[in-house]
Amino acid sequence: MKPSNRTGIMGRIVARVLLALGYVFIWAPVIVLVLFSFSRNKFGLWWEGFTLQWYAELLTNAKVGQALQTSLIVAAVAVVVSTALGTLAAYGLYKYRFRGKKAVRIGLLLPIVMPPVVIGAALLAFFSKVIRIPLGYPSILIAHISFSVPLATFVILGRMARIDWSLEEASADLGADTLTTWRKIIVPLLLPGIIASAALIFPWSFDDVTVTFFVAGTGTMTLPLYIFSRIRAGPSPIINAIGMIFVALPTIGLVLWTMLQSRVSGKKR
Amino acid sequence: MKQFLGKQVHLPFVGPVTLWLIMFVGGPLVLIVYFSVLTPGPLGTILRTPTLENYLFLLRGAVGRVLLRTLLFASGTNMICLLIGYPLAYWIVKYGGRWKTTLLLLIVIPSWTAYLIRIYSIKSILGYNGFLNQALLSLGLISSPLELLYSVPAVMSGLVYTWLPFMVLPIYAALDGLDPSLLEAAEDLGASPLQRFSTVTLPLTKGGIIAGTILVFIPALGDWIVPLLLGGGKVLMAGSYVQMYFVGAANIPRGSSLATALTAVVLLMLYLGIKFGGEEALERII
Amino acid sequence: MENRESMPCLELREVVKRFPGLIAVNHVSLKVETGKVFTLLGPSGCGKTTTLRLVAGLETLDEGDVLIDGKVVNDVPPYKRDCSTIFQTLALFPHMTVEQNIAYGLERRKVPRSEIRKRVGEMLELVELPGMEKRRPNQLSGGQRQRVALARSLVLKPKILLLDEPLASLDRKLRKEMQVELKRIQREVGITFLYVTHDQKEALAVSDTIAVMREGKLEQVGVPQEIYETPRTKFIADFMGAANILSGKVIASGHGKVQLETEGGLRIIALENRNRGGKVIAGISVHPELIELLPLDAGLEGENRFKGRIIEMIYQGDFIETKISLAPAGVLITAHVPSRLQTVTQFSPGEEVLVHWSPSSSNILLE
Repeated sequence: MKPSNRTGIMGRIVARVLLALGYVFIWAPVIVLVLFSFSRNKFGLWWEGFTLQWYAELLTNAKVGQALQTSLIVAAVAVVVSTALGTLAAYGLYKYRFRGKKAVRIGLLLPIVMPPVVIGAALLAFFSKVIRIPLGYPSILIAHISFSVPLATFVILGRMARIDWSLEEASADLGADTLTTWRKIIVPLLLPGIIASAALIFPWSFDDVTVTFFVAGTGTMTLPLYIFSRIRAGPSPIINAIGMIFVALPTIGLVLWTMLQSRVSGKKR
Repeated sequence: MKQFLGKQVHLPFVGPVTLWLIMFVGGPLVLIVYFSVLTPGPLGTILRTPTLENYLFLLRGAVGRVLLRTLLFASGTNMICLLIGYPLAYWIVKYGGRWKTTLLLLIVIPSWTAYLIRIYSIKSILGYNGFLNQALLSLGLISSPLELLYSVPAVMSGLVYTWLPFMVLPIYAALDGLDPSLLEAAEDLGASPLQRFSTVTLPLTKGGIIAGTILVFIPALGDWIVPLLLGGGKVLMAGSYVQMYFVGAANIPRGSSLATALTAVVLLMLYLGIKFGGEEALERII
Repeated sequence: MENRESMPCLELREVVKRFPGLIAVNHVSLKVETGKVFTLLGPSGCGKTTTLRLVAGLETLDEGDVLIDGKVVNDVPPYKRDCSTIFQTLALFPHMTVEQNIAYGLERRKVPRSEIRKRVGEMLELVELPGMEKRRPNQLSGGQRQRVALARSLVLKPKILLLDEPLASLDRKLRKEMQVELKRIQREVGITFLYVTHDQKEALAVSDTIAVMREGKLEQVGVPQEIYETPRTKFIADFMGAANILSGKVIASGHGKVQLETEGGLRIIALENRNRGGKVIAGISVHPELIELLPLDAGLEGENRFKGRIIEMIYQGDFIETKISLAPAGVLITAHVPSRLQTVTQFSPGEEVLVHWSPSSSNILLE
């Protein structure tokens, strides 16, 4: 709340214009994409007629359905395995001191930080030359989990510092064995972290093409791989339609979420 | 924090993950380095003859230049993302008020469209029959469509567009966590707005910048999809070659040498990053 | 009359600051003499911090004037005013060393390097932190950080030092030590302090003048003794922790005295207060030291004599804190009975006694 001056106001206006431009550029491709998903023509400037045919085609296209299913399964498994392993690892890292701890942390960083190309290529070489793991679900799953576990570990590790660990001790003190303590105390306390890491892992896994391309082999197709093959074949509004759904779902989710939040806080008043 | 020095109590917890990492991350990476010094054989086989040929090939010829070009592209992308992203984040934090989170989300939401689809949408806008050309034609500004795709600017735009949110997020987090009383103190002690920025804001957001750089530079370095879709065969990056050698030409040793080279660059970047910014920069990524 | 010296270092004239929905500072006027510690005391939200920030220039005022050394500084930006602020959070730059922190203001003024080094050294001596130049704030204790914040502001030799609850984050023992330190440094440098706190004990220890603030207005301005012994209003008496606050209404007056009746039916005599400024008398307060305990047979005739029963006696060393319940109201009164006296009178809990204080000991509370 400092006294404003003329250059300050000019600067503010210029800044605002530039910023608006920035947002326009970020959103322009998305908007064009969404608009054309409802258009009859494959390319061009304007709509040549409103249509839902591309969405209809999406629903009837068997390959899309198959790819979607594959992606969902892979992502779901990745989330479950990663959060499980990650929670264990985070617990071990947070609670104990041991030799090689630093090495483990660095090792965990590696998959996240390496360019996906390198990981994909390395895994391909590994699967085809060393361990004869078939290229398909197994290899894709392994690749996705390898990336997701570190994510889960770090997110949950971050959560660990904010938990009151005396609750764990109290549980043991009251006679619960380790498994029960985990089930009833630790996991519920860590739940926000687990959910957060699931929220990070699921979209990543669902979306990944760079690594999956290398390890998928010829038989299995995830949704991104399907999209990739379609794009290489030429422009197609089906892709627009898929893109539109990708945007719409989280956006609607977000809007509902904010509405829910404000209603909750509104009621509290 | 319990400390069981000497006892192996930590094993059941950290064990599974460590095993996994060794088997499926460490192993393959070591493998790649190993392969990079072997000779390629016919039909994608690998002969156990050690050679430095693959690396020598990198240094000379078209492929060697590609590595350099890739570094330039990645740095350029990083710079542009920084130049666009920092002011964006700064403005949102300073003037956003109630709408801070919404404004931030508005930057992030477009990145929720699948990676491929966003690149496709740029392609459809810049393409020969694409939106931009059609618009310019109908406005009469050009007489025939422009060849916007399959060029360096197209690839750069694609890279920047894809990775921009990843630069904005950590910088936003760093700026948001800045204690405003520090800036007031600086003002009280006689610092002009520019001085306040350079002596207080910038140094304290260093971690965010480094995190953003790591999140942008490294993926951009290995990206091969953007060059493929937006560059056609005309603009190639290191990742493109890796993909070609591994999948297309089945020349694993050569691909491995490139991959190893990329890895070396990344490790160097990380080392520099930690040296300048400390480990907290890495924590911020999460 | 030396005109220079009688001009106040800092003056506020009818200053008003509004925020959406409330008036944070409501026509505040005050004068601060050079070289003195002037404290704004009050509960949170009373406007004391806002007033401080108006003086610093970190907020712009809506009405009125702020004058430093007789000159109006309303439109002068913070760093051009000759004052320096110590923030509640101290706001030490975490990415700079102690030396760099202290040097910051000097660097902004383009003071030459050699001079900076000298002055930083002098400051560290003054605040008793020699040799700490290369440390970082996160390596210092709370008290040490305080001193660095002080040094950082004082090195600029401002006319006024503005302190916004500077000791709030310290524990009790450290706070007492730092209060003494602050006083010492202030005396040594001779600089004017505008101090803001919600801690009444701190205000009493540190100030030359206290101004009690409430809801944006000044309720009472005076030396610590005044504020403590003769608080003007019920609010202030309560805030300062006065033990015996008796609410009541005036039922009679004359001969320079007034008589109040409390809700419980006690009739109390006090000396008339002419200086009421149009406010209503709302009760009285009495200091525990001024209350006398007498045996019942001393008789109830006279002013301010009440029958009561001793509820509790707590030995406090020099005196015995004695709680008495007065009849008929059951009002609790606290008296400090000197230990020496107790050896003679030998009162004990449960005993009935006579409670008495003179009308001049009744401190009138307004509003």
